[in-house]
Amino acid sequence: MRFTIYQESRCGGRKNNEDRMAYSYSRDALLLVIADGMGGHYYGEVAAQIAVQTMTNAFQQEARTTLEDPFWFLQKHIGNAHYAISAYSEAHRFKDSPRTTIVACVIQNSIAHWAHAGDSRLYLIRQGRVVSQTHDHSQVQMLVDEGVISKEQAETHPERNKVYSCLGGTHPPEVECSRKTPLHSGDLLVLCTDGIWGVMPGDILAQSLRHPDLARSAAQIMDRAEAWGGAQGDNLSLIAVRWEENYEERSQSTISTLSMGPSEFTTRMEEFGRNPNYKSNLSDAEIERAIEEIRAAIDKVGFKK
Amino acid sequence: MGQQANAALPGGFQIEEYTIDRQLSLGGFSIVYLAHDRTGQEVAIKEYLPNSLALRSAGEAKPAIRTEHQGAFRYGMKCFFEEGKALASLSHPNVVRVINFFRANDTVYMVMEYERGRTLQEFIHKHLGHISERFIRGMFVRLLNGLRVVHSSKLLHLDIKPSNIYLRVDNTPVLLDFGAARQTLSSDSSMLKPMYTPGFASPEHYGDRKNLGPWSDIYGAGAAMYACLSGVTPQAADARMKRDQLIPAMARWEGQLSDHLLETIDWCLNLNHLYRPQSAFALQRALLENSKAPIKPARPASWFARLFARKS
Repeated sequence: MRFTIYQESRCGGRKNNEDRMAYSYSRDALLLVIADGMGGHYYGEVAAQIAVQTMTNAFQQEARTTLEDPFWFLQKHIGNAHYAISAYSEAHRFKDSPRTTIVACVIQNSIAHWAHAGDSRLYLIRQGRVVSQTHDHSQVQMLVDEGVISKEQAETHPERNKVYSCLGGTHPPEVECSRKTPLHSGDLLVLCTDGIWGVMPGDILAQSLRHPDLARSAAQIMDRAEAWGGAQGDNLSLIAVRWEENYEERSQSTISTLSMGPSEFTTRMEEFGRNPNYKSNLSDAEIERAIEEIRAAIDKVGFKK
Repeated sequence: MGQQANAALPGGFQIEEYTIDRQLSLGGFSIVYLAHDRTGQEVAIKEYLPNSLALRSAGEAKPAIRTEHQGAFRYGMKCFFEEGKALASLSHPNVVRVINFFRANDTVYMVMEYERGRTLQEFIHKHLGHISERFIRGMFVRLLNGLRVVHSSKLLHLDIKPSNIYLRVDNTPVLLDFGAARQTLSSDSSMLKPMYTPGFASPEHYGDRKNLGPWSDIYGAGAAMYACLSGVTPQAADARMKRDQLIPAMARWEGQLSDHLLETIDWCLNLNHLYRPQSAFALQRALLENSKAPIKPARPASWFARLFARKS
């Protein structure tokens, strides 16, 4: 598994940060999760913390070294997080149970699986364009879907932050799962809260992340979103992952046993002795080529004497 | 295995267009010489010569390589090429510049720019106890500029330590010795013999090295900042993993430097790589923020020149 990752959360203009996020990975699987605790409710950050912890703990217990069924994992533990929040709130006799949104993503074998409840988003960005994104569970989004209001109207609608599915509420959350999505090398998965997407359209986000230095461009996005959010700005959180493997290549290099006859066997064993790589002798021609390559690089930069 | 030292090429030795002046350093894998070209320009020349595989006696030019070591010798040469390629493609004032690369004496040579100055290690020994917060912040912010360029080319340095940080006369830093640098994207890198310096190498350097990343270089930078204050090599990461005896900077120098800087050093030295600054940029931002005397990047030379003048 090869990837580059960046995560950051900021308060924005608020007094506390009720966003929580985490990533966790085993040798062969990666979990990303963001939760936005709800400000109108008591202890939104507690709900968000429970949600993120439930997901990461479960991942650490179940990933061996991959998950058997990522969608089942996401469904089950987002549900568990909901009940854990309710139980916590009962135990502490909160008048109003704290709530949180959640978006979580599991990547293994270069396939992404995600699920969400509420209006925290996941974007899949390929070659500078958003090719897939989660669908907010908000009334305003529903109105857009029904054609009652336009996308532009939705952006400034006073109710745009109200969600109809979340963890910790009186009803169990509606968890929406994605399809299995094979990744290409260079694909970006971006998880963010409304503090980011509320001020920055997806295509601008996608454009801004084109720079090869992910940490730099992601930090710039945070700076811009924070500035645009202003003094009243919401909490803002972002996880960005650049996937560095290709699902296609991977599937080509896997061996298909379907073409083998019933009595055929293929056996490969390591040779005795030293690391076989040591035997890969560099020929004289290869040495010359390597030196030429380095000299060409020096010339290109312009310091050849 | 042979731990005999290789004989260095003698002063006055002619190699390609260069004349060797003297040996600068001797490592397990290479010898570095000070030399000059036909115009009198001083250069540093690094000679690939792993002393466990190739032995050169005094008075000889070519090393003797036993037939059974021939494969390993050429394999190590591949690593030397990687270093060359890595450096040649970078151009940054805080990263050492490669100016030539050639083959001679049955081995290969890398020619680098040489400037007057000294290593951070020498600087620490000379100024121990008087190294200011401004110096640490300013110098490392600049060094991290170089490291960011390295990381953005998908390379890791993996051997950041005071003796690999060179200070020019105006105290601007140059990152040296990419002998341990690896292309993070090359999948067979785990086959290479690991090279690292205990005390500055991160916990990820040990074992299967699968977690190596920019944060591993950040650990090295943190350990180097720590060494600026302590004057000695910090406890090695593998020993820390068993029993951590490294006194946090915050506990050791509280009140002598700002809490913010001490916290930042401890942040870099976290044994869990996930809890360190995840990028050179993140550390740089931390070093730039909250400093009482803000550093003006527009005029670094004068700032350093003044500091240096006061110190000496």
